[in-house]
Amino acid sequence: MKKNYYLDKLYNSNKPFIIYKVERGYDLFTDFSEKIVLNNKNINNFFHKINKLKKKNKFLNLYIGFFGYEILCNLNNVRIPKQKNLKFPKGIFYKPETKIQIRKNITIKSTYRNYSQLFENKTFNQTKVLSPFKINIDKDKYKKIFNRFTKNIKEGKTYQIKICTKYKNRSLINPVSLFWKLMKINASPESFMVKDKNYSIVSCSPETLINKKGNKIITKPIAGTLRKTKKTSVRGALSYFKNNIKETKEHNMIVDMERSDLSKICKPATVKISKVKYVEEYRHLYHYVTKIEGVIEKDVSIKDIIIAMMPGGSVIGCPKISTLNLLNCQERESRNIFTGSFGYIKSNLDMRFNIIIRSILNFKKISEISAASGVVIGSTAKREFDENYIKVKSLMDLF
Amino acid sequence: MIYIVDHKDSFTYNLVHLFSKFDAVCIANYFEVNYSKMAKSKLIVFSSGPGAPNDYPATSEIYKKFKGRKKIIGICLGFQQILFNENGEISQQKKIYHGYQSKVKTLKTSALFKENKIFRVGRYHSLKLKEPFNSRETLVTMRCTETGVAMAFENTVSQVYGFQFHPESFLTQNGKYIIQKVLSA
Repeated sequence: MKKNYYLDKLYNSNKPFIIYKVERGYDLFTDFSEKIVLNNKNINNFFHKINKLKKKNKFLNLYIGFFGYEILCNLNNVRIPKQKNLKFPKGIFYKPETKIQIRKNITIKSTYRNYSQLFENKTFNQTKVLSPFKINIDKDKYKKIFNRFTKNIKEGKTYQIKICTKYKNRSLINPVSLFWKLMKINASPESFMVKDKNYSIVSCSPETLINKKGNKIITKPIAGTLRKTKKTSVRGALSYFKNNIKETKEHNMIVDMERSDLSKICKPATVKISKVKYVEEYRHLYHYVTKIEGVIEKDVSIKDIIIAMMPGGSVIGCPKISTLNLLNCQERESRNIFTGSFGYIKSNLDMRFNIIIRSILNFKKISEISAASGVVIGSTAKREFDENYIKVKSLMDLF
Repeated sequence: MIYIVDHKDSFTYNLVHLFSKFDAVCIANYFEVNYSKMAKSKLIVFSSGPGAPNDYPATSEIYKKFKGRKKIIGICLGFQQILFNENGEISQQKKIYHGYQSKVKTLKTSALFKENKIFRVGRYHSLKLKEPFNSRETLVTMRCTETGVAMAFENTVSQVYGFQFHPESFLTQNGKYIIQKVLSA
């Protein structure tokens, strides 16, 4: 990548900015004229505000940010019992005034003429680990939860449920250097980074939850993960997934669930599976993916779409509402951003959102990395516990 | 109009899409149905859902009220809900089918389908009809080719039909045809 004086200065400053992976590079957003910290009271206002965005500037009329897990549950009328939490915001959206397209060349667009002067004279932290990573649920505890959920499946209360484990350390991080390090090893399609003054997020999410252009909407659920070794290949992974009953069942369920979620907001008979059960390859693992699309019904609002699709089913389990309730009764610690969604909504109401997984949240000198994997009949506690570890390992290795 | 009673499942809107190919569809949660609207519909559908028939007394009420007066179709939990009200016992299975594609075969008892017809269908169920199940009017009309578990029933006298599998699943071939058959019965 070419050296750029402005970008270097930005990376070393304490100025908030966001980077989001796009197909041929990255988009960087900064100079935020608005920051909206979401709560249950102002969220409707936020949706209202989106409709008022002026359509003048094609590049910069958007809100970019994230919905945390809790606010998405609340939007679905699912309550969360009291949990241990760091008081991290339930969601934050920013309105950027400057956008930098990082491709082969770097293009800067801004509504401010003096954007290159807008810096404070402060530099940002370097990464510093203050205590080693610890897991919040040990193997024995995990097994107990696993057995309880297996019983729930036998009773028909849920068909598939994902246990979330969280690894935490005490640390300061420089999200910019961690992010570029991560992109060298795993530039997955929904990667992003948020750097603000009091928190940061670094993520290599692979999963697109919503890609909406005009009235067309696409979702690409992932269900099925295989660790990469020297012996594996894409073809080998495909035949592994196809012959593995557990992975196939898990995947089928998610496909039917996402079809149903899309059908809530789409015109009848427009919801179609456009690419069924294929393999995507990443640095450390393979994913089993299906692409589903539909045409959105006329009177459907942005809020309707968010509620229908979020939290993304593939990371929760199925059926969504009863499974959310089972999870929330069991989890003692807030998920914060994990299994929430990051993305943007434009003034023309096009939007793109991922599912926040494979992510580091640093807040109040604590870095947390969560992972979830599924209990279905046919899986074992040990296998799923280990799968969670594979998922977080490449992120812990960054420190 | 077709009235779908949703048991808060994550597959219900696939049913809505499937049924809307035939007629206008109205959908409501099982705890907030509109009886007068339901009375105007020509078909009532009980959706799939988590849990067991015991958990949904409101749906049993609807069944008792409209049985014999309207055509009723039950899917998965809806299938079990109807059998439960016909004094069937619903029990846990040893082997559980979630996201499974199975073959089912039609029986001589079926008025809608020819005997020995095979369908490939998608299944999402932990519970099943415990047999023997004896009823003069409600007859088991399809079974899993592997395990023999009851997969469909027909009650042609009261026009009540049920499927343990999911006709709306992408795992089910000919789902639309199966529903069409019931609608034209």
